[in-house]
Amino acid sequence: MRTLYLDNAATSWPKPSGVPAAVRRELVHGGGNPGRSGHRKSIEAGRVVLACRERLAALFGVSDPSHIVFTKNATEALNIVIAGIMGSGGHVVTTGMEHNSVLRPLRALETAGVVVEEAAADAGGRVDASDVARRITAGTRLVIVTHASNVTGAINDIAAIGAACRARGVPFLVDAAQTAGCVPIDVAHLPVDYLAFSGHKGLLGPQGTGGLYVGDVARLPPLLRGGTGSLSDREEQPDFLPDRYESGTLNVPGLAGLAEGVQYLLRRGVDSVQEHDRRLRAVFLDAASGDARVKVLQSGVLPEHTGVASVIIEGRSPSAVGEALERRFGILTRIGLHCAPRAHRAVGTFPEGTVRLSWGPFTSGRDMARAGRAIAAIAGGR
Amino acid sequence: MFGRGRPSARPDGLDGVMTFFGSFHALRSESVLKKAGFPVRLIPGPREISPNCGVALRFSWGQCDQAVAEVTRNTIQFEAVHLYPEDPSVFHQKGRRP
Repeated sequence: MRTLYLDNAATSWPKPSGVPAAVRRELVHGGGNPGRSGHRKSIEAGRVVLACRERLAALFGVSDPSHIVFTKNATEALNIVIAGIMGSGGHVVTTGMEHNSVLRPLRALETAGVVVEEAAADAGGRVDASDVARRITAGTRLVIVTHASNVTGAINDIAAIGAACRARGVPFLVDAAQTAGCVPIDVAHLPVDYLAFSGHKGLLGPQGTGGLYVGDVARLPPLLRGGTGSLSDREEQPDFLPDRYESGTLNVPGLAGLAEGVQYLLRRGVDSVQEHDRRLRAVFLDAASGDARVKVLQSGVLPEHTGVASVIIEGRSPSAVGEALERRFGILTRIGLHCAPRAHRAVGTFPEGTVRLSWGPFTSGRDMARAGRAIAAIAGGR
Repeated sequence: MFGRGRPSARPDGLDGVMTFFGSFHALRSESVLKKAGFPVRLIPGPREISPNCGVALRFSWGQCDQAVAEVTRNTIQFEAVHLYPEDPSVFHQKGRRP
């Protein structure tokens, strides 16, 4: 039985063939530390990092690649902004659909006096953009919204929310962990001040890579301070990009792989990936929907979802369904709460959670039909 | 302007040196200048003129104004441009620019 990997929302697999080749090339033939020395290995490593930065800038519509800052994951990128802006207190608006990478830093800050307000979402997990706008006050210092739910895949209207933020002069942080590489994002035409992204999901790079687009530098102090290879005669952190936010040696083999993942997307087009994901969603829903006991969580409009479907089967626990999918059908999914307990409360699936199936650019229509039939078979007791 | 019009003293013609505060800016300058057709080469940053960054960019001094314009147009920060002398222990500094 061929294994079918449907956990791309946790980390994408397989990767384009250039990704592992680039990681290996950097480890075997590269090896320098970028920005630390002037010899050719250091310069070559710097070129690898620059290529990754330039490609991400091209993907996100960023004119100056120095505004792309590398982190080890989206969580670190989110923490830079949350701690940097909210660390000294104030009012923050977020949503009921956020991942723990947003919730936990905010819960910790609440104990220090930060006031957190959450906008509502519908039963499919789509955030009410007008509710976010209504909650912004004169004292709001930051608005944080996930671009798409990691539980249901519902894509939020960040253009409308960002416009409300701009109108009130409040910086806007978007968590693009689930959308970077899957949904077109053009910050040149979006009112977004900070965009946190994962490198190992939709961008198809290795784990341990991620980053932050920093639009509004002035309001954001660095989270970490340390060696950057620049201004080495000074003991103060450089204030220019990207060094302001990039202390310590970067994950160059990882970034070499990420550059190849992004190159794949630039060639194929994120529009094409999104269309592929939509088509596969329709195939899956068609194959899985024959049994009334199967429920797929989604917000009204079918196309406005990423390649994620959260499923519950009446009378069966998500754990049992997930185990059956793997053992009987060779299908790997993620069961439970998906590091988003608040979101599961919002859509009514806490504490059991759901079975989440998430596909990627290398998943086929046949794969999703197979997954849908497997769900229907489990629901039917077959 | 200092050095303008003189035949290059270096065989590769890259007798100017641009220094930077950080390596991103040096590498990005190499990238944009190469794309624009300028002959350039990254070298270990000469400590005599800059403690700031591990690498500097050699370019043709005769194209100094054009190279500076291209780098500036791409919003790249650089520290200064210098004429690379026969004896690298003595640099002629053209002047610091932001």
